[in-house]
Amino acid sequence: MPFAIGLLSVLAIACALSSLVTQGQAYNWYVSKYGERTAAVIIALHADDAYHSGWFLALTGFLCLNLIGCSLVRLPGLIRRFRRMGDPDAMGEPTATEEGINKPESVFETLRMPSPTARKNGEGREELYSAKNRIGLWGAWICHIGILMLILGFALGQWTGKQETVYGVPGQTKLLGDTGLAVTIRDFTVSLREDDTVEQYTADITVTEQDTGRSEDAWISVNNPAKRFGWTFYQNSTGYASRVRVLKDGKDLQEEILCVGESLAVADKPDLIIHFQAFYPDYVMADSGPATRSGQMNHPAWLYLVAYQGQVLGMNALMEGEELTIDEYTVLFDQPRNYTLISAKRDLFTPLALAGGLVTMLGLMLALYVRPASLKAVKDGEAWTVYGRCEKGGVLFAEALRDAADAERKGKPEGKGEQGT
Amino acid sequence: MIQTENVLFTIVMVGYFAAMILYFVFAATRKETLWKAAFGIQAGCLILHTAALVIRGIGAGRLPMTNQYEFATCFAWALCLVSLIFIHKYRFPALGIGAAPVIFLIIGYAAMQSREVRELMPALRSNWLAFHVSTAIISYGAFGVSFAVGIMFLLREKLKEGSYWDQHIPSLQKLDQIGYRSVSLGLLFLTFTILTGAIWAERAWGSYWSWDPKETWSLVTWIIYMVYLHLRLRRGWKGKAAAMFAVIGFICVIFTYIGVNTFLPGVHSYA
Ligand code: HEM
Repeated sequence: MPFAIGLLSVLAIACALSSLVTQGQAYNWYVSKYGERTAAVIIALHADDAYHSGWFLALTGFLCLNLIGCSLVRLPGLIRRFRRMGDPDAMGEPTATEEGINKPESVFETLRMPSPTARKNGEGREELYSAKNRIGLWGAWICHIGILMLILGFALGQWTGKQETVYGVPGQTKLLGDTGLAVTIRDFTVSLREDDTVEQYTADITVTEQDTGRSEDAWISVNNPAKRFGWTFYQNSTGYASRVRVLKDGKDLQEEILCVGESLAVADKPDLIIHFQAFYPDYVMADSGPATRSGQMNHPAWLYLVAYQGQVLGMNALMEGEELTIDEYTVLFDQPRNYTLISAKRDLFTPLALAGGLVTMLGLMLALYVRPASLKAVKDGEAWTVYGRCEKGGVLFAEALRDAADAERKGKPEGKGEQGT
Repeated sequence: MIQTENVLFTIVMVGYFAAMILYFVFAATRKETLWKAAFGIQAGCLILHTAALVIRGIGAGRLPMTNQYEFATCFAWALCLVSLIFIHKYRFPALGIGAAPVIFLIIGYAAMQSREVRELMPALRSNWLAFHVSTAIISYGAFGVSFAVGIMFLLREKLKEGSYWDQHIPSLQKLDQIGYRSVSLGLLFLTFTILTGAIWAERAWGSYWSWDPKETWSLVTWIIYMVYLHLRLRRGWKGKAAAMFAVIGFICVIFTYIGVNTFLPGVHSYA
């Protein structure tokens, strides 16, 4: 156990320190934030991705080995202790003893013990015995098993789980990575409240399995994912998209839907790139740069960037109806709308982790709240002596036993204070 | 609605302050009536505080536990509730001397936050979130009490046996047990909090654990209290060491609650 305590402490300190370092950035980012020296240390210690680093996995691995070892080693003893609690002869050292009791049954009753069984003990004296909450002995053991399941479920999920994302606007169909599934976005709505804040994002999608051609519809919104073909689909986030048309000498050349951050290459001049930089539904020029006053499409503006052979030619904002001209080409942005970003996840081990969490919880409840206790009364001449033993909370149990005994001596069956639960 | 809530909040804050002063004067003068008055004031304030929270909840149309102000006022409420229960159950009036200042500090922190009722962003509209936050409040309240018990333990140790305080502060052994019970309550609810939080994150984002700083710190707090439980099973670690652990644990709780939002970046920072 000292090793376990040490391990847990080291894990706590490692987590605490790692939380101080922003995770998952590139070396240069750390250099600009902390300077070259510290950045080098961060990278050397893998503190940039601490929770997936070798040393963190090793610590967790040791914890698991320790837990497995401890659970195995303690199992026989635990079963023995559990059995023994039913046996009056095997009752251990009493936590408290009260003498001079006339009606021991009332002490059993006050302490809410099960009704005792009577017998003659080895010395031929009358004896009463009962035990309760024996199941509580299993609490710590169950808790340890729960933690193991939790860690195992999480680790397997990290190794085998897959996550993919797709984004698009209504009408588009996109492949979900290389999963063999395609997602058609049939509709996407952003419902706003009166004060312009977002109430909910809802996407209406169809998922198609390409091999079989089977398809299923799903309706997903934030906090309401849907499971199809073994994948769980989440409405993850949203952004703006727009129709972009390119005309050459006044004639239609191409038309695409671009989401903010995407680019198109002009069809007959692929070195000419139009990049859709940002969109402002209710454009204003603020001190800090372009901004939007609200989420309403009151005064839409498109921010674009044009590049030719990797050289930026220009960047500017277009208002509704304005167009961009580059030599013989004209570029028009219109029909702004929301796109949806949908993420899909497949992790067969989430249920194991969940079960681990629930088992841990159950174990904790048993360990902390189901306190095993046994009570034995032995006739000593005229009066009885009562021996009580509680596996947890000795003083409070002793106090409860004393109160119960006092009450009995005074002839009142009910005791005050802590019940020996 | 807002008006009534504000008035109630002010009364409650003044009440908690008055109770704290009464407990202090009780500690200095040992007048029995003082702690009874303080206990009574706290009980009265708790009822008004509950009313203020209910009113806010009705006004907002949801559980009033989603921003810094709401969480802080609920935290103070839970701490008051749990401390009154412990005072009553273990016949331990002096616990108020340790708990009342913490209650007042937390409600004072709440008073400094914006009280505006804001609509919730979609990710926050979840029943799991409601479970997550309400269990967190009980857990924090219980840890607050274990902190106060820990402080009382350390104080009691300094007092001579047979002094006046023997009647009002339980024996060291019993204090240790009470501390253990309050940590148990807090830990059980913290486990619930982490579990429901993970379920919520899984439904909202598709990832039940992502090492966000707030998550990480709740895990750190959880491990610290687990270490506390294991240490107690070893000889020589009950009593003073356990009391000190309870005090340090609560400092971690406070850091998880306030420090993480202030100093570290993460998804929880909008809360
Ligand atoms: C390597 C890791 C660990 C080892 C070797 C270990 C060992 C032990 C041992 C020997 C006991 C006493 C059991 C008894 O009285 O029957 C115990 C109790 C306990 N352990 Fe662990 N433990 C470890 C990690 C954990 C973790 C991560 C948790 C978190 C859930 C945990 C939760 C508990 C609880 C709740 C108890 C009961 C405490 C009490 O009754 O006050 N243990 N542990």
